[in-house]
Amino acid sequence: MVITAILTLIIAVAIGGILIGGGVHFIPVGGAPAAMATATGVGTGTAMLAAGGGLTGLITAASMTGQPVYIVCIAGAVGGMLMIALTMLIANIIYVYGCGIVPSSAKVEKDIITGLDQEKYITPGTEGHGVPTGCFVSGVIGGLFGGVGGGLVYWAAYNALAEAITTPILGVESNVVIAGLAAILGVAVFFINAVIASYNIGGTTEGVHDPKFKRLPRGVLASGVASIVLGIFIYLIVGGAL
Amino acid sequence: MSAAGGGPSEADISPEVLLALGVIGGLLGIYLSDINVLGGVIAPVLGSLGAVCAIIWGADAIRRVASYGLGTGVPSIGYMSLALGIIGALVGVALAATLNLTIIGPVLGLVAGLILGAVVGIVAKVIVKMKIAVLIRCTAEISGAAALAVLGFSSAIAGGYGLDLILAKVIAPGFIALFFIFVTMAIQHPFNACLGPNENQVRTIKLAVSTAFSVMTITGILAIFNPSLVYAGVPAWLVILVIGAIGWVVSLKSFICASNEAAAEVSWNAEIPKVEE
Repeated sequence: MVITAILTLIIAVAIGGILIGGGVHFIPVGGAPAAMATATGVGTGTAMLAAGGGLTGLITAASMTGQPVYIVCIAGAVGGMLMIALTMLIANIIYVYGCGIVPSSAKVEKDIITGLDQEKYITPGTEGHGVPTGCFVSGVIGGLFGGVGGGLVYWAAYNALAEAITTPILGVESNVVIAGLAAILGVAVFFINAVIASYNIGGTTEGVHDPKFKRLPRGVLASGVASIVLGIFIYLIVGGAL
Repeated sequence: MSAAGGGPSEADISPEVLLALGVIGGLLGIYLSDINVLGGVIAPVLGSLGAVCAIIWGADAIRRVASYGLGTGVPSIGYMSLALGIIGALVGVALAATLNLTIIGPVLGLVAGLILGAVVGIVAKVIVKMKIAVLIRCTAEISGAAALAVLGFSSAIAGGYGLDLILAKVIAPGFIALFFIFVTMAIQHPFNACLGPNENQVRTIKLAVSTAFSVMTITGILAIFNPSLVYAGVPAWLVILVIGAIGWVVSLKSFICASNEAAAEVSWNAEIPKVEE
């Protein structure tokens, strides 16, 4: 491989990783307290939300295989945003009609989008509940970044592998092998960056208006460093697959 | 006792013993996964048993690190380490293919998994400033165990650990994604299910053995897609399936017995703290 192709791969993985890690900071991850409707956000951990949003984004990105990079990234973004929006919508339906609570945040006095008062709707002893509008919009933005990042990693891995694997392997068409390998590498990079970002926010966040959002630069740096190393290792796989 | 967030965990079996079991058992199983005894029917079973050893090692490493309380739940480190382990395993077999030395693939895969785990552990500790002393060592250990476990099950399905075999028989049909999730579950579930007061290492490891054998049973079903390994009319997938199922039933029974024994006696009961209103 020529040096520009190697650099393209490593830089694309690094940028993709940063977008994924940054995107997670926007998503209202509620964790165990939210599962009991005693904290704002979707009641599960980052790994699960990343699995849902990230994998859907990768499927939609992979459906645009062979298209220019921006089309692959937009397709990834659409998948990621749709899945995370649906997850938050269904969570809200369960919170509102199942638990009988009003989506509200204890971290802000007024919702950052609608400007509605939050305090009077918060059940005493809880830190808010459900996914209020501000968190919802923030989560969709997170899905956008995560989807673009996942799409970028898939695109980079696919293109690098397409140069390396040109003949059928043991009777299996090369494009099937390339798509499978690029997809699993995309998933792996997605999970690693999602969990690093999750460590950075300490497990739970409400999105852009959460005080923890100030930790974004640190999370971006961590994802960037880890992703550059991942990019180098992915290059070793591509180099070896020749 | 070992609750999440409760500090270092007590252990009846030392981490070094389980590390040796995982590394030696895992590598031995993978290396024997292409021996040609009895028409190659035994070899995939040995590959799967190697993966079982690696999963037990990984589950103990999860127990050691997650007992400090990660703040993100036990599964998160499992998913991350499996992702690192899969990249490590692929780097190992790919580099071995580049160097035309297929034999060093599994060792390189283990080393690459350990290095990747250590790098992410260092990033988490230095940049994210996680305050868990064993984080780097345990992330590296879980990633190494993940690399061996994925390679072990992959070699059982593919009938060897060469790059071409893994690419054509495991990655192209998408089995690698199944192994990602299955092995994650097998490694993270035991401690995630057992954590809390009165958690006990031996009982958690009994559950780890049972989850590992359950993945082996599923590997037996997946191996149906590679029907080339047959001896005296007995296909390899059937042998993996049967041995996996027997191991699963025996270990799950032993885990349930251990749980019942522990539950029959309440030796200490916490008082409910009084909250002043």
